[in-house]
Amino acid sequence: MGAARRPGITRRPGTTRRRGTTAPAVTAGAAMLVLALAAGCSSDAAAPAAGGAAGGGGAGAASPRSGGTLRLAVEKEPECLDPHQSPTESARLLTRPLVDSLVYQDPHGGLHPWLAREWTVSDDRLTYTFRLREGVTFTDGQKFDASAVVANLDHVVDPKTKSLLAGSLIAAYESAKVIDPLTVEARLKRPDSGFLSALAQPNLGIESPATLKGPASKLCAVVVGTGPFKSDGGFTPQKGIDYVRNPAYAWAPEGAARGGPTLLDRIEVTVVPDNSARLGALTSGQVDAVTGLAPAGIGTLKNTPGFALHTTRFPGANYSYWPNTAKGPLSDVNVRKALRAGIDWRRIVKNVYFGVYDGADGPLSASTPGYDHSVAAAYGYDPAEANRLLDQAGWTQRDAQGYRTKDGKRLALRHMWSDPSVSNLAVQIQAAAKQLGVELVEENLDGGTFVNRLLSGDYELIDTSFSSPGPDVLRVLFGADNIPTPKRGISNNMARYDNPEAEAAFKRALGAKDQAEQFGVYAEVQRRITEDAAVLPIYSPLSTLAAREGVRDVRFNVDGTPDLSGIWLAS
Amino acid sequence: MAGVLKTSPAGAAARNGRRSGQGRETLVRLVLVRLAASAGVLWGAVTVTFVLLQVMPGSTADVLLARSSVGPEVRAGIIAEYGLDDPLPVQYLTYLGRIVRGELGESYVLRRPVWDEIAAQFPGTLLLVATTLLATVVASVVLGVVSANRRAWVRSLFASAESLVVALPPFWLGLLLLTVFSFTLHWFPAIGSSSPAGLVLPTAALAAGPAAVVAGVLREGLLRAMDEPFVVTARARGIGEAALRLRHVLRHALLPVTTLLGWIAGSLIGGAVIIEIVFSRQGIGRLALSAVTNKDMPMVIAVVLVTAVAFVLVTIAVDILTWVIDPRTRDAGR
Repeated sequence: MGAARRPGITRRPGTTRRRGTTAPAVTAGAAMLVLALAAGCSSDAAAPAAGGAAGGGGAGAASPRSGGTLRLAVEKEPECLDPHQSPTESARLLTRPLVDSLVYQDPHGGLHPWLAREWTVSDDRLTYTFRLREGVTFTDGQKFDASAVVANLDHVVDPKTKSLLAGSLIAAYESAKVIDPLTVEARLKRPDSGFLSALAQPNLGIESPATLKGPASKLCAVVVGTGPFKSDGGFTPQKGIDYVRNPAYAWAPEGAARGGPTLLDRIEVTVVPDNSARLGALTSGQVDAVTGLAPAGIGTLKNTPGFALHTTRFPGANYSYWPNTAKGPLSDVNVRKALRAGIDWRRIVKNVYFGVYDGADGPLSASTPGYDHSVAAAYGYDPAEANRLLDQAGWTQRDAQGYRTKDGKRLALRHMWSDPSVSNLAVQIQAAAKQLGVELVEENLDGGTFVNRLLSGDYELIDTSFSSPGPDVLRVLFGADNIPTPKRGISNNMARYDNPEAEAAFKRALGAKDQAEQFGVYAEVQRRITEDAAVLPIYSPLSTLAAREGVRDVRFNVDGTPDLSGIWLAS
Repeated sequence: MAGVLKTSPAGAAARNGRRSGQGRETLVRLVLVRLAASAGVLWGAVTVTFVLLQVMPGSTADVLLARSSVGPEVRAGIIAEYGLDDPLPVQYLTYLGRIVRGELGESYVLRRPVWDEIAAQFPGTLLLVATTLLATVVASVVLGVVSANRRAWVRSLFASAESLVVALPPFWLGLLLLTVFSFTLHWFPAIGSSSPAGLVLPTAALAAGPAAVVAGVLREGLLRAMDEPFVVTARARGIGEAALRLRHVLRHALLPVTTLLGWIAGSLIGGAVIIEIVFSRQGIGRLALSAVTNKDMPMVIAVVLVTAVAFVLVTIAVDILTWVIDPRTRDAGR
């Protein structure tokens, strides 16, 4: 497939910023029997563990207690619940309790057995053979076996499913066949080092084959899997979804918090789109936990006794300004480097977001498996260097308003907003750029105009973040095959970056024989991108779950969504 | 609009017995005219919606797939299945044909039959509109009757208070009510639209503005009616002051109010979006908002159709009420 269409989400016109989709990512099946590729890549800041560490907010670590209902308010809804169809982060959060995957990926990116007990990969890396766990049943009573796996993979890639993400996560998939009831063999069209970690995403979660034969519209409401919870009523738009414990559950992945059935009896999820209403519902005791608090709300909650804030940095690309490297003033690498060095991004982020978000140290957030620490030094504040670079680039004259000019033309950069909510940040950055003599023209556009301008490359800067559980997201964001064009449609290389060295590296990464090799290649890519200043990273977005103190053992999945199944209630 | 209704009530026809044959013809003609007019309204609504969605920038396929990651085959499949590359007149006629056959299709985004979604979300909207109308009527009648009685300066005090309430943005009022009565006093739930208690705050937030407007109109009407000669006649017959106000004067003053209420009810049916969001209520307004942003044509058209039908029904209800309240309209136009 060339780099192309793995994951991706682009800005959704009119809704909130997309820290949407997961790209698949990471990891390779090694050539031989691969079992429990233990974590390895310790991500700095131990970010993924931050939430779990809070555990219970201190007071006497009570032993886990069974029972109770977790009432959770979420900010977004999935539109269609079926993770095979839906590309949304919300669908991943809400289906993870319902569906298990063949492979489990821990928060550091390590791969472990789950519904597949073990697997082998052929030497040409085109054939994956999975030995399945025995005695697993779906919550509708059906048995889980090899034919269920084949039915699921085929369902995902069936054009009739109109999969908006899952299909592209396994774009290399060709076919699967049943070897015996507990052995299944999957064939790929070409090597793909991200295949196993793609299988670990909820988007490739295993659903009851009986339900897959029914109408697709039914799957948008009710998803039946082998998971620790079930939901007979399913998801109701603008309302939510209720889960009850699956008492038969005995196949939690290795490395998960608990082996048997969950401690919670029920989970009731309500969709509460308004930020203040969600915060108020939590602090007034109407719900036990909420996701997606805005930074202001996080600030308020930090000072409210009786509540705990669980956070992790979303893995994937930081919230960044993406410069149009193909045309206009930002096609000059010196101008891009000048913007990177000449604006005090960290100070601005601290001011605008009440110290809630961390500044960024590279194209990837530091919690991403495969993040390369060595690039961090290049992202410091150095106004003198910035001015020198701009002079060197020929923007030496100044006009009446103090902006730099070259050949009588002002250094003006049009910034298309991903979302009106970026305005506070954008205004501060605009003021800082003015100090450098650079004019930022802020453009808050309707969705359709945004799309048209994105496709035609008619912009200098776009802002957005892009969550993804591995460094493979770099291929999605910087691969030449992913430059949005009218013919290709929306795609995610907003920097319109096209670099032969990076292209060669992406090919090597796909063919990598294991995770270590893949991470090594992507470390090179991170250095290449940093050298080219192909992105101006600003901060690492946070996944948050704010809860009353009785809510214990809050952990996060590899994609940054909270893991609801591990939670228990101390009160 | 009052045309149809004046013939339908049996009493009116009986009283005008000698014209009954002619009346029946008139009735049939008027019914046909009314049906045609309603169909015209719906056709117009659908057409305008279709044109507006096409005029919005961005191709439907690009907007629909904006957030997704699909290969060329899936993209082509979606375009073909929804007929997005058909010429516009073909798309338009296909839509009209489907609507005439009663097939509203499946939502592009929710991927469920449009009717199922409307059926799921509409009750929440209807309930909220109903309670809001009820609250508006009760509050404005009480306010109007009470304040019309007073001296000029008291009345202007009421009038200024009403102007202030009208100026409050409903979402702000909603958040204020939430903070005070839900988050602080814990009297009402902030989320969950199913319980009766959950209706109180959104109803209050939505009804405040309309109630203030209607109360003002009602007071003016009451004052004007008090100057009418029939008041002197009624008083001369020795009627009590309270009975005079409620039975005679109020009835006059209610006419403009009824029309106003009809308009308010109509605009609340797709227009309560912000209150629906603030109170996390299910409703057709939120459905419409997300459908429009996503260029979800089948859903937008269905919401517009349902809203237009509701508007037509409300208008008819207003005509009936007018007929009941004011006997003069029964013979008007004869």
